[in-house]
Amino acid sequence: MTRWVMVTIIIGIYLVANLVIGLMAGRRSSKSVTGFVAADRNFGLLIMYFVTGATIFSSFAFLGAPGWAYSRGAAAFYILAYGVLGMVPLYWMGPRIAALGRRLGHVTQAQLISGRFPSRTLSALIAAVSVAAFIPYITLQIEGAGIVINSVTDGHIPLWLGGLLAYGIVVVYVLVSGVSAVGWTNTFQGVFMVVIAWALGIYLPFHLYGGIGPMFERIAQARPELLVPPGLTSTGTHWGWGAFSSYILISVVGFLMWPHLFMKAYTAKDDDTLRRTVILFPTFQFFLIPILLIGFSGVLFPQAPADPDSILPFLILRTQLPSLVVGLFCAGALAASMSTGDALLHASASILVEDGIAPFTRMSDRARRRLMRWLVLVTGAVAYWLAQTNTSSLVQLLASAYGIIAQLAPAVFAALYWRRATTAGVLSGLVAGMLTTELFRLYPAFAPFGIHEGILGLLVQIPVLVAVSLLTRPQRQEHLDAFFPAGSAQTR
Amino acid sequence: MRLRTARALAGAYLILFLIGTTWPGVLVASRIHPFVLGLPFSFFWYAAWIAFSLPVLYLLDRVERRYRDQRDGGQDR
Repeated sequence: MTRWVMVTIIIGIYLVANLVIGLMAGRRSSKSVTGFVAADRNFGLLIMYFVTGATIFSSFAFLGAPGWAYSRGAAAFYILAYGVLGMVPLYWMGPRIAALGRRLGHVTQAQLISGRFPSRTLSALIAAVSVAAFIPYITLQIEGAGIVINSVTDGHIPLWLGGLLAYGIVVVYVLVSGVSAVGWTNTFQGVFMVVIAWALGIYLPFHLYGGIGPMFERIAQARPELLVPPGLTSTGTHWGWGAFSSYILISVVGFLMWPHLFMKAYTAKDDDTLRRTVILFPTFQFFLIPILLIGFSGVLFPQAPADPDSILPFLILRTQLPSLVVGLFCAGALAASMSTGDALLHASASILVEDGIAPFTRMSDRARRRLMRWLVLVTGAVAYWLAQTNTSSLVQLLASAYGIIAQLAPAVFAALYWRRATTAGVLSGLVAGMLTTELFRLYPAFAPFGIHEGILGLLVQIPVLVAVSLLTRPQRQEHLDAFFPAGSAQTR
Repeated sequence: MRLRTARALAGAYLILFLIGTTWPGVLVASRIHPFVLGLPFSFFWYAAWIAFSLPVLYLLDRVERRYRDQRDGGQDR
């Protein structure tokens, strides 16, 4: 049997397994909005561990991250730095968010913010920004799935068909089972991603150089500039410390603010589950180490791929791996893409309905759930259509999304920890921060020391939020009591 | 260990993590030699910060849990 047929069979088995798991998952959850969006707040530790890990690491993990290590060297270490730091605040914030969610019925981030700061404008603004950030993100996941399938089948399955197969399945299981499908499939996909990453990350350096140490010895001789932070830019010049450091900082701040991750705080069964998910997260973060080893193993390979992002499939197809391994690699890369894509698709439909539409109309629980399902289909179709058109501008859009999403952090912190914050303060701070971020993204030459535009946005937003809050009338005591339960110290 | 001490230590570790992986802290590790566990020193440096956060967070959780159990068990704080 030729390799591509064998590989196609493995991909087929893998995709069917995902579909079955996804469809089975929803049978136990209730037919309500809370069931569809927050799995009746009933995820245990195993699922929470994989749902957070697999959601965070997208197709970027198997394509972009090795591509960074391969072409930009130590610049890729920034990807190692922010995950743990970004996750830890959830240890304290998570149980509070979840408790407020149970008491006040929240299932999204915007409901928390606009619950504390009542404003439909605020709610709609957050919904619009989230979905605007999600669509390019989903599109890139679909494109990633198409690229991987296309390359491992030697071009026999075209890009459009690969993306359609993988994401057709994602749309079906998210539509039927909601977040329960995301949870159970991500557990399956998460195991795949981690095992494949470690296997390849160790195999490739040993196969090509006789070990990890010998590989780096040779890179140190031939390309020493790749091993010293802050590494290189995409054009091969030296990257600046200002950019390197502020990329880490903005990623730490923005990490939890991604709504598809934030919303998972509402799915945990209890506070201990949520806390343990945070404590165990560094073990998932380790998975980036073999990923970067894969990228470094391509540095001295005699041939080079057309695009650094395809270094991993490029190496796999040129190192005489058995077709079974090629097929499993493909499944691992698809797992990374689909486990993020499903969470994004689910979150954008939920947010559009709960924060963008429901506050302006009267809709029953059933009608909202039905609308969410339609929107899963619509969002999936829009992203698929975009994936078939020009996507280079989407990478730009996504790069700016991190800065914009990070602007939600002050609002979340103010909602949870600062009694004196007011609706006017939060709204004006958010708008000021977002405008600043967008301005410096469009005119990066004005950003001092190459600092990430999102950091500059926060530097504008925080003083505006504080000043306007202090100048406007404090919120009523009865309103605050719902958010700050009596007797608990409110210092954090 | 008291709760306050545990939080201070964990917080200190995380702040050092941030300082040590960004400018100017990372300058002390911005070099190739010596190799540790087969990795260039700069790579090992980043991996080690992740690795050590595991025991730090574990110890923090143990103290937090004991404190919560003493207080009453499992309310949101």
